[in-house]
Amino acid sequence: MSTAGIVLFFVFGSLALASAVGTIALPSPIRAAMSLLAHIVSLSGLFLLLHAHLLAALQVLVYAGAVVVLFIFVIMLIGPVPAPPHGERGRLIKACSGATMLAVSLLLAYSLLPVKAPLESLGSCTTAEGAECDQFGGVLAFSKSLFVGAMVPFELIAVLLTVAVVGAVAVARGRTAAESRVLSMKLHEKGKESVAEEAREHALATKLTVPPPPERGTLT
Amino acid sequence: MQIELGHYLALSSVIFGLGAVGFLVRRNVLVQLMSIELMLNSVNLMLIACNRFLPNNHAGQVFAFFVIAVAAAEASVGLAIVISLFRLKKTVHSDQADSLRH
Amino acid sequence: MAEKALLGIVLFPLLGAIAIGLFGRKAGRDAVQTIAVLSVAASFLLALVAFGELLRLRLSEHKELAALSFTAYDWFTLTWNQRAIGVPVRFVMDALSGVMTLVITGIGLLIHIYSTGYMSEEPSYARFFAYLNLFTASMLILVLGSNLPLMFVGWEGVGLCSYLLIGFWYENTSYAAAGRKAFVVNRIGDFGVLLGMLLLAVATNSFEFNAINAVAEQRPSVFTAAFSLGPRGMPYWVVPGISLGTVATLLLFLGCTGKSAQLPLYVWLPDAMAGPTPVSALIHAATMVTAGVYLICRLSPVFALAPATMALITTLGALTALLGASVGLVQTQLKKILAYSTVSQLGFMFAAVGCGAFAAGFMHVYTHAFFKACLFLGAGSVMHAVGAHGDADIRQLGGLRRYMPVTRATFLVSCCAIAGVPLFSGFFSKDEILVGVLSAQGYFSFAPWLAPAVFAALVLAATMTAFYMFRLYFLTFSGAYRGGPVHYDHYDHDDHDGHQHAAHEPHESPASITVPLVILGIGAVFAGYVWVGIAHFEPWVSWLDPALGSIGGEHPHNAVYIALACGLAAAAVGIGLATQFYFRPSEAPARLATQFRGLHRLLLDAWRVDRLYDSTILAASRFLARAANVFDVYVIDVLTTVLPTQIVRAVAFLFTRMQTGLVHAYGAVMAFGLLALVVHFVVPHGDPEIVGEPEGMKVELAASAGLGYEYRWDFDSDGTFDTAWSGDRSATRDFSDADFVRFAVVFEGASYGAHPRTLTVAPKDSVAVSGSALTRALTSAEISADEFGPGWQHGEDNRLPQISSDQDGLLITPRGARVRKNGTMQASEKPVRVARGESVTIGFSRLTVTGYARPRVQVRNGFGIERTQSVGVVVPKVTRRLTAQVAAARAGVP
Repeated sequence: MSTAGIVLFFVFGSLALASAVGTIALPSPIRAAMSLLAHIVSLSGLFLLLHAHLLAALQVLVYAGAVVVLFIFVIMLIGPVPAPPHGERGRLIKACSGATMLAVSLLLAYSLLPVKAPLESLGSCTTAEGAECDQFGGVLAFSKSLFVGAMVPFELIAVLLTVAVVGAVAVARGRTAAESRVLSMKLHEKGKESVAEEAREHALATKLTVPPPPERGTLT
Repeated sequence: MQIELGHYLALSSVIFGLGAVGFLVRRNVLVQLMSIELMLNSVNLMLIACNRFLPNNHAGQVFAFFVIAVAAAEASVGLAIVISLFRLKKTVHSDQADSLRH
Repeated sequence: MAEKALLGIVLFPLLGAIAIGLFGRKAGRDAVQTIAVLSVAASFLLALVAFGELLRLRLSEHKELAALSFTAYDWFTLTWNQRAIGVPVRFVMDALSGVMTLVITGIGLLIHIYSTGYMSEEPSYARFFAYLNLFTASMLILVLGSNLPLMFVGWEGVGLCSYLLIGFWYENTSYAAAGRKAFVVNRIGDFGVLLGMLLLAVATNSFEFNAINAVAEQRPSVFTAAFSLGPRGMPYWVVPGISLGTVATLLLFLGCTGKSAQLPLYVWLPDAMAGPTPVSALIHAATMVTAGVYLICRLSPVFALAPATMALITTLGALTALLGASVGLVQTQLKKILAYSTVSQLGFMFAAVGCGAFAAGFMHVYTHAFFKACLFLGAGSVMHAVGAHGDADIRQLGGLRRYMPVTRATFLVSCCAIAGVPLFSGFFSKDEILVGVLSAQGYFSFAPWLAPAVFAALVLAATMTAFYMFRLYFLTFSGAYRGGPVHYDHYDHDDHDGHQHAAHEPHESPASITVPLVILGIGAVFAGYVWVGIAHFEPWVSWLDPALGSIGGEHPHNAVYIALACGLAAAAVGIGLATQFYFRPSEAPARLATQFRGLHRLLLDAWRVDRLYDSTILAASRFLARAANVFDVYVIDVLTTVLPTQIVRAVAFLFTRMQTGLVHAYGAVMAFGLLALVVHFVVPHGDPEIVGEPEGMKVELAASAGLGYEYRWDFDSDGTFDTAWSGDRSATRDFSDADFVRFAVVFEGASYGAHPRTLTVAPKDSVAVSGSALTRALTSAEISADEFGPGWQHGEDNRLPQISSDQDGLLITPRGARVRKNGTMQASEKPVRVARGESVTIGFSRLTVTGYARPRVQVRNGFGIERTQSVGVVVPKVTRRLTAQVAAARAGVP
């Protein structure tokens, strides 16, 4: 690998590390999301260093372009989160498990560091070849592997994504106005006034009106 | 010096560990989901790195592709669940979501 | 040919019982009574055939010990200590059992016929006849069995049927309790019979009656030798003065007291009147209660060799006779009087056999069967006539001679027989008993006053017998009818006529009841003539003599006259007094009762024996039951129910606390689990072990395999590794002295169930020896003295040996123990050295010293992590002494 490659590795690597730390450490979720975005972009750079050109592009497109955006939508929808009334629970468990995982992963890193493998040099595309460029990690070679070698998993992934879409819609849908009316009538018949009141409140909430501002808590 | 496979693997492990720590320590469900994304990304990195050093086929990259797709699906469904949880409990603090207890 | 009849005698009632039991209810009353009566009739006919054959053998062929024998099959063989006793199912009829069989089947047949009329209104008709047939079959097995176990089968069978029949109307709790009482009291006796039976078998090596009697006659020393307890001829306890015969006969007599209602186990017989009257007649008058007398007569040669037991038998017999008669004086219930009378007459029989007059006692069995059965059946007839349930109060009866002439005649005849009126059957048997008692004076050499005392008691009892029997007769049949019984209970058992008993005017019973009464009455009169001596021909004695043992001695010359005179006097006084008091209504009885109020109450309560038993034995039993219940509830239930429940609850509590519902908690658990997995896979597992068996000094060791593992071995535990790193996981080593780090001491103990143990002893260490297993457990010593086996001590010195070690081996200072090395006894103060490969014996145990090495293996896995593990190796291997001997024997080494 050339010197530039080494430098770029360290740049992108440290950026990935720093943004990972930021994702887990920053208190505000939106800032954590931004940090995640930076992490994804740095990973994309690392992919490029590893001759995974198409995947680098896909990483930015899908992760940065869709997943992180989805996160940000939801964060905005939820709004500022009030602090929990009883303080934080289970600090000890948190500390122990966190330390355990950190120790395991550092141990793993330490034992994996000396792994060496022979490095073949791989060619790169010239502009003349254009779309027929058949080098490692390029569109043509990768697509051949994907659509010829892994066609069935590909189709199954498509099914999975469809299922995910349907599931997400079903879970996040909440109740329509008609359903809320039916529910409140049923509860009214049972004579439970307080529960009906809660149902009405719930119906209001599904309209996603702005919730009342919290008494205390951080606003981002 | 050369950048060996070990470096990539070590980096991947550290990012994985950070993601796990974030999942175990943070209370905000959204941040926990983001930590899961971190872990998945680290695995992607390891897959692609190993593929680079064994370039007979594209198995690593294809697998990483699938991981991205699955991560996207999982993120969407997870966020839908978060929204439902928010509607129910008015909070995204995981300590409040303890109805399934003894 | 006649032998096969024996099988039929037993089989017909048995099959009848099974058939009625299975199909009786559906088949209907007619079928049931036909099967029942016919089976017993067939049995009786076959008994006549067999008896005829016996007669022929005796009279024409003059075979003194004539007997018919039929072997059905081999039942089982008892083996122990290289001895075996075979027990076949064999039926033997000789003189004794022939008479008994005729009595059982004959009187049994009459009672079956009687019951068809008496029990005709009974709803559980089939059950009754099934039980009755079963009883008959069991009694026949009892008398026809040729060996003790088969007889015991019949013994138990009659006990069972007695229980079933006494408690026949089990819905009434007091009747059911009476049945239980009979069974439990009988069981106490059965325990004695069982032990006696086994003792006889061990002593004479056979269960057969004729074999045991042969041993008693030809080798009496077997029975007169002192009784000793102990295994394999090593007596632990020799009881001087008590012979084997005494113990065996005492145990058998315990059974007889239970079955034949002697003191102290007679208490079930009066209560047994809860059963139907035919049951009382058959079982408790004629047959079952005489089983005890039969057993004694059967084993009479054995009993004759045990004068101590015979003294006890006759004493208890006399006391029982007195007790039964005294209680009968004042009782007011009809059947109760007859029950106590049975107790008393059984006492007469036992007093007779206890004095060696086996033939006389058995004759009384024979005559008593007739007149007592007749009395009971007559009582049933009376109760049927006046509509009494359960029992009849004789104070409310009277004047029945006008209404029931047949019953009255047979009853009178039987009363005369039991009272000993001359020329009736009872007179002859009672006379012979008195003669026999007087003749026993020489037999009881250690207590010459015994025979006369028994004689006096029996005369007194005979007087009382005559008195109360005629009291019963006069109160029931003479005078005016006093109205009949008042109905107290609600059980309509005896109400078996359809017509109303409006004013309860008594009437004679139907033919099915009176005909058996007449037959038995005739028997009561004439049965005694078999003993009449006419011109030196005494059929009874000469018939039975070969079958019975004898005590020797002879009649004192005037015994016959004394007995005759006393017997007549007793009968006369008794009947005279009874006539005085009861023939016409009189004030005398009431006056006497108030004058001797205390005595009267005591007799009325039957000497309060039941209450004594209740407050002592039964109270103890109830206490034990309560204690067991408390133990069960508070110890066993707690340990098995409460404790596990609480443990489960505690564990469940712990586990439920783990379900917090918090995601981070679950994630933490996953993290810790992952850590454990990582540790398991990262740390190498060597786990060396020995492969197969060591051959001489060569041992093969192997460690477990793993991915990328490399091994190196250190065999002599000196710290330096003897092999280089290699991927080969097994290694073989020829161990030498330099490799051993300690001594392995293989200790083969000699206590019961001891397994060889291996102790490791380092040089300069010592092995702690403690006195007993308990101190061994408490002080965690390694060897206890009772593992050395018996006789490990040198004479009186009981100091424990000291075991220590040095560089070259074990050092044992014997001190108080017998230590042998290579067969030579070692001195007690000099330490014995036991080097590697040598062994010594301490007492019966053996100590062998071998070498103990601890090779180590170091394992390195692909991550470069190293770990050392070790394993203990004991070599050369010590084979167990016993397996070595067996192997040597197999190989032919002497």
